[in-house]
Amino acid sequence: MNTLKIDTRKFGPIEIDETKILSMPDGLPGFSGYHKFILLEDPNSKPFCWFQSVEDPSLSLVVMSPFIFKPDYEIDVTPQDIRKSWKAQKEEDLTVYVVINITEEKKITANLIGPIIINTKTSEAVQLVISDSEYSHQHNVLEGV
Amino acid sequence: MLILTRRAEEKIKIGDNIVVNVFEIDGNVVKIGIDAPKDIPIYRMEVLEQIENKNIEAASKTPEDVADVAQLFNKKFSRGQEN
Repeated sequence: MNTLKIDTRKFGPIEIDETKILSMPDGLPGFSGYHKFILLEDPNSKPFCWFQSVEDPSLSLVVMSPFIFKPDYEIDVTPQDIRKSWKAQKEEDLTVYVVINITEEKKITANLIGPIIINTKTSEAVQLVISDSEYSHQHNVLEGV
Repeated sequence: MLILTRRAEEKIKIGDNIVVNVFEIDGNVVKIGIDAPKDIPIYRMEVLEQIENKNIEAASKTPEDVADVAQLFNKKFSRGQEN
């Protein structure tokens, strides 16, 4: 395993598996210029994860699998619609994360119209922008629980 | 910024392969058709901005913020949940 030492502002210097680095060819909306990220798990905050920039220690977003709190979450995409080069990929090769926010009142919200799709075969990630859906950019995660 | 006046059913060509078609005008609503190569992303600006803003907001959270709500989350989801 080839490890790489990276600096993170939230967790200090950490060692990562180089093969786990995800490339984001289109970048991350709101943070242009960054194209390399890694998904970090923090045992203290499972199932919340961090989408950490490999290039900028201070850039990391809270993310989570939407299916944990919304098992019927659905997005209508085929791999090749996300990226032309994903043509040969199967849906099973894709994993989905959504960006999580925490309000001052400790309300947990999820952005269901901007899912981050990770292609585990090509180690690439894309954040989709979904316009025509019933989903909210601040879905109340604990709603209906 | 280039500002052009168009009537319904008139078009604008941008570069070699983008055509913007003003389909229908109804009061302050305009229906626009855009023909562009698939690899050119086209977004409703306000939707993209919502996603940008949520990303920026999510990046400001600390591990403590998250550990805090993770407890709450796991308590609520512990029923019928293995992890």
